Amino acid sequence: MPINLTLGQVSNDFMIAALLIYSLSVLAFAGDFAFGRPRRAQATAVVRQAKDRAAAMATVGSASVSVGSVSVGSASAGGASVGGASVGGTSVGGASRAGGAASGTGAGVPETASGRDSMPALALPPLRAIRQAGRWVQAAMALAAVAVTAHTTAVVTRGFAVHRAPWGNMYEFVTALTCFAAIFFLFVMIRYRAWALGVFVMGAVVLTLGLAETLIYTAAGDLVPALQSYWLDIHVTAMTVATGIFFVSAVLGCVYLAVDRYDRRVAAGKAAPGNGIVRRLPSIEQLDRLTYRTVVFGFPVWTFGVIAGAIWADQAWGRYWGWDPVETWAFITWVLYAAFLHARATAGWRGRRAQYIQLLGFASLMFNILVVQVFIAGLHSYAGVS
Amino acid sequence: MTDVRVPEADPFDAAAQERDGRPPSPAAAAPGGLGLAGWLKWAWRQLTSMRIALVLLFLLAVGSVPGSILPQQGTDAAGVQQYYTSHPGLAPWLNHLGLFNVFAAPWFAAIYLLLFASLVGCVVPRTFRLVGSARSLPPRAPRHLTRLPHSAEYTVALGPQDAVQVAERALASHGFRLRRPADGGGSPDAGEPWVSAEKGYLREVGNLLFHLALLGVLVSVALGGLFGYKADRLLVQGSTFADTASQLDELYPGRLVSDADLGPFTITLNQFEASYIASGPQRGQPSSFDAQISYTARPGGPVGSYRLEVNRPLSVDGAKVYLIGHGYAPVFRVTDARGQVVYNAPTPFISGSSGNFLSEGVVKVPDAQPQQLGFTGIFVPTAVDVGGVLQSAFPAADNPVVSMIAYAGNLGMNSGPSQSVYQLDTAGMRRLTTSPQVLQVGQSLKLPGGQGTLTFTGYVPWVSLTITHDPGQIPALVCGIAALGGLLLSFMVRRRRVFVRARADSGGGSTVRVGGLTRTDASGGFEAEFASLADELRSAQRAAAAGQAAPQPGSEPGTEPDSEPDSGHSQHEGK
Repeated sequence: MPINLTLGQVSNDFMIAALLIYSLSVLAFAGDFAFGRPRRAQATAVVRQAKDRAAAMATVGSASVSVGSVSVGSASAGGASVGGASVGGTSVGGASRAGGAASGTGAGVPETASGRDSMPALALPPLRAIRQAGRWVQAAMALAAVAVTAHTTAVVTRGFAVHRAPWGNMYEFVTALTCFAAIFFLFVMIRYRAWALGVFVMGAVVLTLGLAETLIYTAAGDLVPALQSYWLDIHVTAMTVATGIFFVSAVLGCVYLAVDRYDRRVAAGKAAPGNGIVRRLPSIEQLDRLTYRTVVFGFPVWTFGVIAGAIWADQAWGRYWGWDPVETWAFITWVLYAAFLHARATAGWRGRRAQYIQLLGFASLMFNILVVQVFIAGLHSYAGVS
Repeated sequence: MTDVRVPEADPFDAAAQERDGRPPSPAAAAPGGLGLAGWLKWAWRQLTSMRIALVLLFLLAVGSVPGSILPQQGTDAAGVQQYYTSHPGLAPWLNHLGLFNVFAAPWFAAIYLLLFASLVGCVVPRTFRLVGSARSLPPRAPRHLTRLPHSAEYTVALGPQDAVQVAERALASHGFRLRRPADGGGSPDAGEPWVSAEKGYLREVGNLLFHLALLGVLVSVALGGLFGYKADRLLVQGSTFADTASQLDELYPGRLVSDADLGPFTITLNQFEASYIASGPQRGQPSSFDAQISYTARPGGPVGSYRLEVNRPLSVDGAKVYLIGHGYAPVFRVTDARGQVVYNAPTPFISGSSGNFLSEGVVKVPDAQPQQLGFTGIFVPTAVDVGGVLQSAFPAADNPVVSMIAYAGNLGMNSGPSQSVYQLDTAGMRRLTTSPQVLQVGQSLKLPGGQGTLTFTGYVPWVSLTITHDPGQIPALVCGIAALGGLLLSFMVRRRRVFVRARADSGGGSTVRVGGLTRTDASGGFEAEFASLADELRSAQRAAAAGQAAPQPGSEPGTEPDSEPDSGHSQHEGK
């Protein structure tokens, strides 16, 4: 079937529109930092308690927390939200530094049947959580949702224009991976109420998509016979989705390192505590957990992609694994993310070092896409970049 | 009172916790003076520690890098040769380090074998521990449930025994394993009934399955390396070959493969067609390759036919045949000085880097008299003249020409090292034509001095086939899928415990405390699950209480309303 040029043009228009709306949503997320209603003000003590309780987990026996049954109630609500879960109607972004849940607790805690009841808060529906997060976040989320819709439309129409999965060359791959990253991050942001992270992840999406449009734009076209297989749909889709997820993890990892650096400077007396931006960000514990969860999401997808790639390689080239440069780097990426998962559970490697490993994994992934596929001759030279 | 205690040897997320949380044994702390056994034990402990496993993972990643940057013997032997010529000083050193064959190098094998030894040393004891914990009951409920990371406290108008019973039923319906005071350990806290519940053993099962499956992948790869083979064969349209060692161009047998193990099937290329995009920015890009072949699984057996395409291999006799590449074989007829036809065959030319299938090849005519003849030439599928230089404008044969240079003399085929069929040794030969002679189909080149004639009569396509046999393939696939399944289980299932205690209130009801425990970083979301579970327990108990208040026949028979109010009170001085 011939390429549908009209649809290809529609796709291009939607892509540009998505880029513009994404930029507006990043501005709105930034506006929340600058002018947004502060979502905190409650006792830091609640956070302290919650942290003690979290620390007491490992050594429950030796913890000497003694709290009355009434204050336990509030601690359990606070603890739950700080844990990063979708409960209590507090945002991870806001709850973190100053804890508490000024905007959310009231709505989140169900009415009690008796004065002595202290039940953990049930999850607040996402829309209500967004409404409580303030006008800037509402605007940013609405814009982000519109942008993601436009982006998805662009990717899908491109697929219809070329009659195949729309990730057959480098340009299509980058537009699709940023689309998956944005969808995944919207999900993460809503699930964990992590509004404060929107400016970073969506900002990275805008940057990447913009670079793709300006540097490596490739018009809709056909594929070489080696790529004409339904395994393109399976293998490359998995790789694209996993890359999108790891993209989010990498941005979160960078935020982690920034916050961690600031915290250490404060501890060393080199920086004044209470930085306005850092204060709104999740704590490093939360960032660590959030990063871990995204990697846990992406790692099986990547593993599946590698296995599917091996099956395809067996069909197309006569061996399931041949240490082709791109295969080698996919393996290196897999090993590094596996190392991250293990490092997080190893004394002396938790936290910053684990994040460095995770970023190294993403760096190897980018190296594979940007350098190996373009400059190193191998069987995977399909980038279509000239 | 500090008896709120998670039982010892808590198997939660055994991997990391137990690996590096292991108390330093004397052997680990001071290996000196312990003799050989002590040293071995120390070394084994080191090897199976998570830290060393991490280091080995890093080494594996770093060690793979040269394998992707330097040309490798297995995949790009020509690249290695080229590297030798361009870096004559460096290349032998790299070769000593095995860097031209990284993935078969001893040091690379050492890394992954140590890693897998470390893995075995970790996984086997954990398997035993998992079996042990699956046999034993969940731990007793801690006394102070509100100190657990997740807790709830509420009152119901139901006696403690009933409240706990209702909770038991609710928890059991969620698939929790239960432990009651009666199940062991007596009942030291009489008057405060409790139940412990645990769920999510599949997490550890998945984790173990993942690691064992990785071992299986390694074994499968080894199986393929020992019993598999790979072979290449260039096949001109219209010709046939058999899968035997003598008829293959290249054969890479596994360590335990002999020539007799090759499948005796035969393959004939009936027709090959390649089509290309004819216009637009992608002009010249191939759009399909299609090889019509017929084959017999054994000599004399029934003939099958197959359309061999890229991504569509042929399975025959335990082996697979792949379409890897293609090219042109111009057909030449050569007559010698006597006027006899001494050569009349398609001759495969190999396309070089100049694109659009501008291909090079040679014709050797050893039977020509009085002197042997040789020709070097290029085949151009769609010839265009660009400033006096012959170039190919399109990969399909729209305007095919050859350009030949003739030699006469001794081909040197009867002595010296064996020759490549794609190269002419001109050392013993004299050049007959000063400039390359361009021929179109049907045209002839008359050699000077009546030495003979070369006629370009046409062309046929050829394909290059790869034949592989890998008995480790299916096991590797099964292990890969098992690894993925294990990974998903270990990431999605959460090991968690829920405890319920009920204490009688003065008013005839009871105060119920629910506590929950999990490793929060595991997969997250237990907060939400615990919240809804606590909510569900409370509703179930309140519903049961309502049922008791307005007793219907048959509902909740034989339950004692209030039992021993506050007898356990003194145990809770922390309150």
